[in-house]
Amino acid sequence: MSTPVAPSEKERTILDATGSNIAEFAGRLDQQPQADASESFGHFLVRSLREMTNIKFALASFVVNNLRRRYRRSVLGFAWSLLNPILTMCVMTAVFSVLFKQDPKNFGVYVFTGLLPWTFFCESVIAGSGAITSAESFLKKVYIPKLFFPMVTVATEAANFGFSIVALLLLAAITGYQFKPTCLLVVPVIALLFAFTYFCALFCSIATVYFRDFAHILRVGLGAIFYTVPIVYPASLVPEEYRWFYAYHPFARFVELFRLTLCDGKVPSLDVWVAPVLVTVLAFLFAFALLKKTERDIIFRL
Amino acid sequence: MDALIEIKNATLRFRIYRNRTPALKEKVIRLLSPKKVTAEEVIEFDALKNLNLSIKGGDRLGIIGLNGAGKSTMLKMIVGIYPPQKGSVHVKGKVTPLIELGTGFDHELSGRENIYLNGALLGRSFKQMRSMEDAIIEFSGLEEKIDMPIKYYSSGMMGRLAFSIGTIMEPEILLVDEVFSTGDAQFVEKARKRMAQLISKSSIVVIVSHSMEHIVQFCNRVIVLNRGVVVAEGDPAEMVDYYRANVANVPAVPAPAVIAPSPQAVAAAANAPHSVLAK
Repeated sequence: MSTPVAPSEKERTILDATGSNIAEFAGRLDQQPQADASESFGHFLVRSLREMTNIKFALASFVVNNLRRRYRRSVLGFAWSLLNPILTMCVMTAVFSVLFKQDPKNFGVYVFTGLLPWTFFCESVIAGSGAITSAESFLKKVYIPKLFFPMVTVATEAANFGFSIVALLLLAAITGYQFKPTCLLVVPVIALLFAFTYFCALFCSIATVYFRDFAHILRVGLGAIFYTVPIVYPASLVPEEYRWFYAYHPFARFVELFRLTLCDGKVPSLDVWVAPVLVTVLAFLFAFALLKKTERDIIFRL
Repeated sequence: MDALIEIKNATLRFRIYRNRTPALKEKVIRLLSPKKVTAEEVIEFDALKNLNLSIKGGDRLGIIGLNGAGKSTMLKMIVGIYPPQKGSVHVKGKVTPLIELGTGFDHELSGRENIYLNGALLGRSFKQMRSMEDAIIEFSGLEEKIDMPIKYYSSGMMGRLAFSIGTIMEPEILLVDEVFSTGDAQFVEKARKRMAQLISKSSIVVIVSHSMEHIVQFCNRVIVLNRGVVVAEGDPAEMVDYYRANVANVPAVPAPAVIAPSPQAVAAAANAPHSVLAK
């Protein structure tokens, strides 16, 4: 294949044109991430945040490409991202209403307001565990902050979660569900769940660098936790004397928040928020303390 | 703001773990076992040892040395990929690394999508990429195939695209690791011109090359690196002579003797991965 050789005059103008355009953009690499070990936790957080904002375009590109790749070459394309959860929900609702002899209309919405956040959390944390180790070839070739790849995973899963929520709302609307304006309170709940999930995924991704079998252990652990949360069974099936447990179960509280806002259209009282907010703060502290400690070592362990 | 690279007493230590896939299971077993088992076995070696280097605006620094001497590792340390365990690296100015061109190319995506993806990985913004998109496509000469998934590209075409993305912007600090030859003869000529132009416009240029010709042509200062240590520093022509006489001719430890590279060997080296460590 022959290619026309551009005259050097032209090349020069291209370079000049872009060059002058470029000067106004502060480059990500201006602020070299050569942090010293004595950096304070506060400084570390500020630097991490700055690195993250500097790389947001890369984040968007990765997430969009991940989504695109998933549905590329299929006839329905992006429609699958809505169709997929709708079909799954129909099947599950049918199964559960037969199994638990519940009213399929209400029980479907009940199950999925619990199942969707749980699936989002699980998939993110499990996929997120491998985020850093599988990005070895990137991390060794260009400078990317370590918190980037877990964020890509969680953001991709969050997009799918968003599609599923939309599908759920569509389904609910079809079955004659009445929406209230208080349903919008689900937005801060989603934001909180996103933060919690990201911190967990970040922690797990670093742990996997040091213990490569971490994801397997995690999978088993999450599988066990799943049945402690009233997702596929109604909380009313649990004997009264054990139900206090759910008040302290962070994920049960998360599910409760989703159900209160989305199903019941109620404003959740403050005590429902305590456990989720608390675990999010804890996850944040653990994840970033671990990141600060290992940040300069991870690359040598890959 | 004048660009500056200040490396002070930097030591970069690689640790090779005998156990490549550490598992939590083993750790627990080790903790529980009554015998005192020594912790993970680690082989350490210093890829760079007590490196002191100050590169100022106007410097065109060439780094020469055998394979595995630490040349590419040094560039990666400047970029921030490998933080040194001891000492410090201070960089002032925007760094454009032409180290591993085409990193992060996604073969399922089209050339155009890869331009954005690759640019994003190089730390550029959407606005920047949009303003440069056409120039990149034009320079790569891939106008007709730009919307085709790049898995249908030949490796030469991919190289052209990668080179075009990497070199579109005028850098303050340019780090070059053997990127002088990509694509067909016509493109090589175009690329050579573009490189010369970039080098003349950058404030600081650091070049790693096995081509002594390029080193003498582009550099005004050269260091000779051998097993992570700067063994000589000075005028390019002198350093090339020094390298040929004292480093390239001396067989490297027990490994097969490396004789002064023939032109073919140099060409091969330019295409092969340069650093064993960087794999």
